[in-house]
Amino acid sequence: MIDRIETTLEKMQSDIERFYDKKVWHFLTLNGVQLDENSTEIQWIFSKYGQKDAITLFYLTATRGDIIPSVTDILPSAIISQREIVDMFGIEIEGSPKGLYLDEDSLTSPLSRCRI
Amino acid sequence: MGKKTINIPLGSQHISLLEPVKFRFECENEKIIGVDSDVGFVHRGIELACTSKFKYDVIPYVVARICGLCAITHSLTYTTAVESLLEGEVTLRAKYLRVLLVELDRIHSHMLCLSHTAENAGFEAMFMQIMGDREYVMDIQQALTGNRVQFDYIHIGGVNRDLTTDISKQIKTNLQIIRAKVDEYIEEFSNNWSLSLKYKNIGQITLDQAYEYNAIGPLARAAGLKTDVRSESDYLPYEQLGYEMQLASDGDIHSRNMIRLKEILNSIEMCENIVDGLPEGDILTKLKGKPNGESIVRLEAPRGELMYYIKGDGKAMLNRVRIKTPTFSSIPAFMEIFKGSNYADAPAILASFDPCLSCTAK
Amino acid sequence: MKLSLFKAFKNLFKTPQTIQYPTVAIEKIKGDRGLIKYGEESCIYCLKCEKACPPGAILFVPTDTPSNNPKNKKGLRYMYNPFLCIYCGECVRACPKPDEALWQSEEKPQIGVKEDKVNDDWFAVEGRKNTK
Repeated sequence: MIDRIETTLEKMQSDIERFYDKKVWHFLTLNGVQLDENSTEIQWIFSKYGQKDAITLFYLTATRGDIIPSVTDILPSAIISQREIVDMFGIEIEGSPKGLYLDEDSLTSPLSRCRI
Repeated sequence: MGKKTINIPLGSQHISLLEPVKFRFECENEKIIGVDSDVGFVHRGIELACTSKFKYDVIPYVVARICGLCAITHSLTYTTAVESLLEGEVTLRAKYLRVLLVELDRIHSHMLCLSHTAENAGFEAMFMQIMGDREYVMDIQQALTGNRVQFDYIHIGGVNRDLTTDISKQIKTNLQIIRAKVDEYIEEFSNNWSLSLKYKNIGQITLDQAYEYNAIGPLARAAGLKTDVRSESDYLPYEQLGYEMQLASDGDIHSRNMIRLKEILNSIEMCENIVDGLPEGDILTKLKGKPNGESIVRLEAPRGELMYYIKGDGKAMLNRVRIKTPTFSSIPAFMEIFKGSNYADAPAILASFDPCLSCTAK
Repeated sequence: MKLSLFKAFKNLFKTPQTIQYPTVAIEKIKGDRGLIKYGEESCIYCLKCEKACPPGAILFVPTDTPSNNPKNKKGLRYMYNPFLCIYCGECVRACPKPDEALWQSEEKPQIGVKEDKVNDDWFAVEGRKNTK
C-alpha cells in the first residue's frame, strides 16, 4: 500500500527532516510526473526496512519557474537523482548542474510535453 | 602548506574496464582524495519511448533490452506492476516458473562478476575456468527458452513456454555439476595466499556508511546491513522455496566474494526445490481491462534492488514509466569508498561492485 | 595452493573447451526459434498479427494484384521483414488459426548484405501503407 503525504515548497525540507531516521527508512529515489503544460508533480519515495511493502511518498506540485530546495544534507545519496530530474524535466534544483545524460547540442527537457 | 595534487582519469576506455564509465581521481602521491564521475555514455531515451511509441502490452519486450545481464528482472518487474492494475490472477505454476528463471539468471550473473574480479587481481587461469563452467547454466537456459541471453519468456498473465521432463532431467544433472565446482571455488578464494593480499581489508565500507548512503544488494549485506527485497515483498513465493539471507560483517572485497558464492549455493537449492515440487495448472491466463491508477513494485536483481513506478489513465498508452536501477543508486556509495585507498587498487574495487552501465544510463 | 597447482598441471593435457565455429557446426537443439511461415489459403485477414507484433515486422499493404481468397475484401498482401523480427512468437499466439495460417519454423534467417538494399525496400513498403 502506498501512503501519500502532501507538502509545499517552503515546508518540504523540515517535513522530511522530521520524518527521516536512517536506521528505519530507506530512501529510494526522486520522481517527476508531468500533469499539464505548466505544472509538474515531484515525489520523494521511501520504504521501511524489514517490513513487507510499506512505501511512503511525499509529493508537491511545482509550476514553471520555481526553484526547489535540495535535500542532500539530510539524504546524501539524493545527489544523482536530483541531476536526472533537472535534465529530463527542465526544473531547477539548488546545487545540481545540467549535463548528466544529455549533451549540449541535444534536445532539452524531453519528458516535459513542451520543450523549454 | 597545501601539497601538490594531480588528476588522473580512469577513462571511458581502459584496459581493465568492461563498462563505459569515467572517473577522474585527484591523487596526492598515490592516495586518492577526491572523485568526480561521468555516467550517461549510452543514454537511449527508453522512458520517453515507453510513453509515446509503444503500447502497454508490448513494453515487456522493449524493457528487457535495457540490459543484457538483468533482462528478465526488468521484464518481470514491469509485468507485475501492470498486473496489479488489471483484473485477474496469475496461477501458482506460472509463478514458480518465473522464480526458476530469475534464480538461474542470478547464478550466471554472479559467476561473471567473480571471474572478472579474479582477472583484475591477476589470476587469469581462474577467469577462464569460471567462464567455462558457466556454459552449463547457459545450456539449461537455451533448452528452456530458446535463447542464451534475451529470453522473451514473460507475458502479461503468465509465461510463454512450459517445462517438460527432458528439460527437468537436464536441469538436475547440470546443477549437480555446478554445485561441486562452486565448493572448489570457495576453497580456492579463501585459502589462496596471493589473492588474500589483493582482497582482504581493501575497499572497505562500514555499517554506518552503509546506512548513510543507502547501500543495496551484496554491497550492503557484506557490511552487515539486513536488507533484501526477497524477504520484504509478497509477489513471488520465496519463503516456501527455502530462501535464506546471507550476511557478513567485514565489508571488504573478500566478504563480497564470499556472499556471492554462498548466494549461488542457495539459488541452486531453490531451483532444485522448484523442479521437484511444481504444481499443476495453466501457464497463461487472460487479464481484462486497461491500466488505470498508479503502482510501485520492487524486485531483487543480482546487483541490488530494482523499482518501477507506473501511472496510467485508462488508455492503451501509459502516462509515466519511471525505472530506478540498482547501479544508479550505488553511485554515491562508490564515490565515497574510493577516497583513502591506493590508485593501484581502483580497478579491483570497481570490479567487485559489479557495475552495469547500460542499466544506469537508460 | 597445492591443489590449484595440481589442477593446472592436469589441465595441460585436456582438450580445449571452445568450439571452432563457423568451420565446425553447432549442434541444433529442439525448440529453436526460427523464421515465421505463412499459409495464404487459410488466412482470414483479421489483421491481429499486425497489431500484436512489437517491432512492426508484419504489414498488410494494399496491392494491385490481390489473391483469390474470398476473405480478402480490401485487396491486401502480407509482407514480412526477417531483419526487423525478434522471433518472439507473439504473432503466432495472437492468430486464430495458429498451425494452418501462421507458424514458427526452426529455420535460421539469412545474413543481409549491403547489395540487398534491405532498409530502402522496407521504407517503401511502409510508405505505401501510410498513404492509403
